Order: sequence, then structure tokens, then C-alpha cells
Amino acid sequence: MNDPTLIGPCADYEHDLVELHDGALPPERARAVHLHVDHCERCRDWMQAFAALDARLVVDLPQPRLPADFDVRLHERLAALTRPVVRSDQSGTLEREHDALLAALRRGARRNALLGAIGWATAMACALIMARNLIREASGTLATVAGSTESLMMFGVVGVAVAIAGWALWAVRAGTPLPGLAR
Amino acid sequence: MDAGIEQHLAEGRHARAFDLVVPAYKDRVFRLAWSILKDRAAAEDATQETLVRVWKALPGFDGRAALGTWIYAITRNTCLMELRRRRPTVSFDDPDSTEAQHAAANIATGPAGDPERDNLLRLVETLPQNQQEAVRLFYLEDRSYDAVAEQLGMPLGTVKNLLHRARKRLMELARPDEVKAA
Repeated sequence: MNDPTLIGPCADYEHDLVELHDGALPPERARAVHLHVDHCERCRDWMQAFAALDARLVVDLPQPRLPADFDVRLHERLAALTRPVVRSDQSGTLEREHDALLAALRRGARRNALLGAIGWATAMACALIMARNLIREASGTLATVAGSTESLMMFGVVGVAVAIAGWALWAVRAGTPLPGLAR
Repeated sequence: MDAGIEQHLAEGRHARAFDLVVPAYKDRVFRLAWSILKDRAAAEDATQETLVRVWKALPGFDGRAALGTWIYAITRNTCLMELRRRRPTVSFDDPDSTEAQHAAANIATGPAGDPERDNLLRLVETLPQNQQEAVRLFYLEDRSYDAVAEQLGMPLGTVKNLLHRARKRLMELARPDEVKAA
């Protein structure tokens, strides 16, 4: 066996010879190739040389294995990934100061919103009392339009007061700044 | 084995599924990584990195590809990143280069004092990278074309061609005197 390339009609058998040796050739084709090899010295030699190389590769190529402690080290790494992050002393102090500052700012905003709501409710109540007095002055005129001007006016005043109180309560709970008052 | 893993995945038991993935795939992932990286320590690191990535990504595995195909793709990507990281230092001429050291370490893993064996391993190193990977993996995977095709993510015909060309080249290189005489 001198040349690894088969020539002439034998060249067509080269891939088949490899697969025959590797046991990957379909049985029908394997029979045909066997028939050829039995009568062809060149292909027989080629196949022997190929088998010799194959045997050397089986023996000589490294067969590395994972070390026995691989699983332990993998699970240690996974455990480290799932462990909560522990802050160092210095960064922990800074983070705590930052958190305290944020909490103080939030408390201040809530207090401002509450004061704003009270201020707005007082102002609106004063406006309503003034409106009530104005309407009472004009009651003579209104009496000619509606039957009971007094009761109509009272219902209106109570409705508006309830609406203002509800809005102020919502603003305080949501921490929404009221008009004219910064957070 | 994969059916059991997929059952756990379908029912949202990802940790249990991962516990089955590790024994089922760690050796095959390691052999694939070794065939690409040619270095035992680097292959071990790549195997660990691959399994950590699998652990992180397992809840998002949608089953569109086979589990093995998915894991081998992650392995190949992990190895390619390692090769890219090494690239600036790659030099086959410089005996101190990382690549040369890996090749030397690779040869040194077998019994010492066998010049024929060392010569054959050096010849394997001269093959194109894709042929080297196919040859190493083929002989690690009990000479299975299917295993090589699955792990390298290549069609079966491509793998057969790669192996044929690689071994024919090795036959040629292993007998230079006889080829010259012919």
C-alpha cells in the first residue's frame, strides 16, 4: 500500500470501503463491496492500511475523562450563584444612609400633601359659605323660579363639600401634590 | 432519559430536570468541548460553564429543538468564545504560545516515550480545525457518525466526508517515504 488514493474503477469504492470498515454501510451495499474487495488486491491493501490507521487512532488518541469532583465543584458554583449578595461594611453603611434619606423625603412629601389638602378644603369651605350667603341674598328672585330655594341650596352645598373632601382624601393617600404646594 | 427530563420541564420542575441533565450530558459535553479546545483543563471549564448556562436557561427552554441539540449548541458557543478569547496569543510557530502549550499538553496526556504515538498526534494537529474536531470526537464517541453529527450540529453526509478526508490525509502523512517511493 503506497498511495492512499485509489485510482480507476476502485476510486468509486473508496467511501464505501471506509464505511464498510466503520460498520456504517447498508447490508446490500456491504455485500457488493465485499465481492469487489475479494477480487481486488489494491482495494484489499487500501482497506488494510486504513484499518491499521484506524486502530492506531483508537489506541493513541487521548481519552480524557472528567475529574471525580466535577459534580461537587459544579454544585458549589451553582450554590454561589443562588446565594443572596452580602454587602460589605462600607457599602452597607452608604446604602443604609441612602435608604434613610429616601424615607425622610417620602415622609416630607406625605406631610406636604396633607397640609395642602387641609388648606384647599378650608379655602373651598370659605368659598361655599360666601356663595351660600350670596345665594341667600338672591333668594327672593330664586323663589319665583323654584319652589324651595333653601333646600335646593343646602343639597348643593353638601354635595360640593363631600366632593371636595373626597378629592382631598384621595390626594393625600396617593401622595399627589395639590395645586400650589410643592411635594 | 430525555423523555424524563422533558416531563419535568413540562411540569415546571426545572431543578429536578437539571439534576437529570448533569449525569446524562456532562461527559458528552466534556468530550465535545475537548475535541474543540484540545485541552483537558479548558474543556473542563467549558463543561462547567455550559452546564451553568443550561441551568440558567432551562426555564426558557421551549422544546422546539431536541434537548441534546440545544445543549450541544450551547457547548459549541461556549468553546468558540474561549477560542476567540485565546486568539490574540495563537501562534503555531512560537513554542511558548497558548496554542502550542495546549497541543503539547494534549500530546503529553498519554503514555510517555512513544514516538509513533506522538508523531500521529502531531499529524492530527496539522489537519484543518473542522477535521480535527470530527476525528477527535469520532474516536471519543465509540466511532459513531450519528453522535458526531449531533454534537457538531452537522448533516451526517458532511461528517462522513470530513472523517474520510481527514483519515485519508493521515494515511498520506503517516507514510511519506512510501508515497515518495511510489
